[in-house]
Amino acid sequence: MDKECSMYKEHVESGKRKVTLSLTVNGRHVVRDVDPNMTLLHFLRDNLKLIGTKEACGEGECGACTIIMNGKAVTSCIILAVEAEGAQITTVEGLAKDGKLSILQEEFISQDALQCGFCTPGFLMSTRALLDNNPNPTDEEIIEALSGNLCRCTGYIPILKAVKRTIERERKESGF
Amino acid sequence: MISRFTYFKPHNLNEAVQYLEKEENAFVLAGGTDLMILLRRNLINAEHILDIKALPEMDLFNFVDGAGLTIGASVVVNRVVDSEVVSAKYPALHQAAASLASFQLRNRATVVGNICNASPGADLPPALLVYDAVVNITGPQGTRQVPLNEFFTGVKRTVLQRGELVVSVQLPEPGAGDKSVYLRQARLRGHDLATVGIACRLKPDGKVAIGIGAVAPTPKRLFALEDKINERGISKETIEWAAQEIREHIHPITDVRSSAQYRLQIASVLLKRGLLSLIGKEE
Repeated sequence: MDKECSMYKEHVESGKRKVTLSLTVNGRHVVRDVDPNMTLLHFLRDNLKLIGTKEACGEGECGACTIIMNGKAVTSCIILAVEAEGAQITTVEGLAKDGKLSILQEEFISQDALQCGFCTPGFLMSTRALLDNNPNPTDEEIIEALSGNLCRCTGYIPILKAVKRTIERERKESGF
Repeated sequence: MISRFTYFKPHNLNEAVQYLEKEENAFVLAGGTDLMILLRRNLINAEHILDIKALPEMDLFNFVDGAGLTIGASVVVNRVVDSEVVSAKYPALHQAAASLASFQLRNRATVVGNICNASPGADLPPALLVYDAVVNITGPQGTRQVPLNEFFTGVKRTVLQRGELVVSVQLPEPGAGDKSVYLRQARLRGHDLATVGIACRLKPDGKVAIGIGAVAPTPKRLFALEDKINERGISKETIEWAAQEIREHIHPITDVRSSAQYRLQIASVLLKRGLLSLIGKEE
């Protein structure tokens, strides 16, 4: 009987037993016991106190809870924490380095790409995932990658500008 | 927040089947983009969740000359969107996949999940139907294959029996010169199910296939309409005729997304637009 099969047996016998979860969040290895029914979003916010990731719709429609999991932008509100076993996760807290904001964050500020700011962590993470996979996207590719993020106050033009300026600056910085 | 359940992620297909057979109220988790909504709205009371993402069979995604395309049950929609072979050989599937939900959801949502959820308005079934997709099922009695056209039995209902799991969906290889297109009408992009979604395919022998969603309790192939079109032979005139005739072959309802009348109208428009594009003609 392999490890997970015996784990399942223990669940049945002991009611809803917690599951030991081991993953990497913003470069830090984390091990915690979690309830099987806890969402990844609540795990990040409640257990790890990483409250930059926001919950709005709670159903994967608005993108406020977007994080990067194994290189892909995903909505953490509709993922179970236990599904993230072994995953590499980056949240908005992982963007700034050594107390200095990333270029992406600086450009969101310089372009006034936020007002209330609730959607911003999600936009930042969707953009980061896009640029990590495709450092030179077309406007259409940017819009497609951000299609799952809703902003209800700023509108999308300043966000698009901030993303494009980020692309320029990151390109210069990488020497191309 | 949601039902209290046990979570099981086996590495072996037999274990998964045994678990589903044994446990009451067990639900299958792949991408979770439908299941998690049901859980969070407390619409289901799940006692057990079976995560299929560690089963090696479910991760299969390949194209073999002659045999066609196989899409395993844990293959996410964006993998299909990004696939060059899908874009080249199954354009309607590429287009349907690219129009499904939003970018982040496509990073989690699976093709097979979109089938198993059996929503009448799902985007992928019309495209899969025109390619005569076959569903590979495994269960306590062994494996079986069901044509996708016979897989859906009603709104959110399928032929799956207790203990059964869909392992993959398989699409035969289209011949050279095969063409297809998927068109959808929705109230807004990225955040809505299709009001009507239609896939049109023109095979190398000049025969058409039409798959449609959101106009009946299940996604459907319009075989009777296809036969009539094929008898007449595909042409601009036949397409004009078919755009009217389609109203006799679908039975849409009025719901939050649209009136039945609008669905009849837009189905007619999309069919005409789709078929005309396949024969290279303008409206």
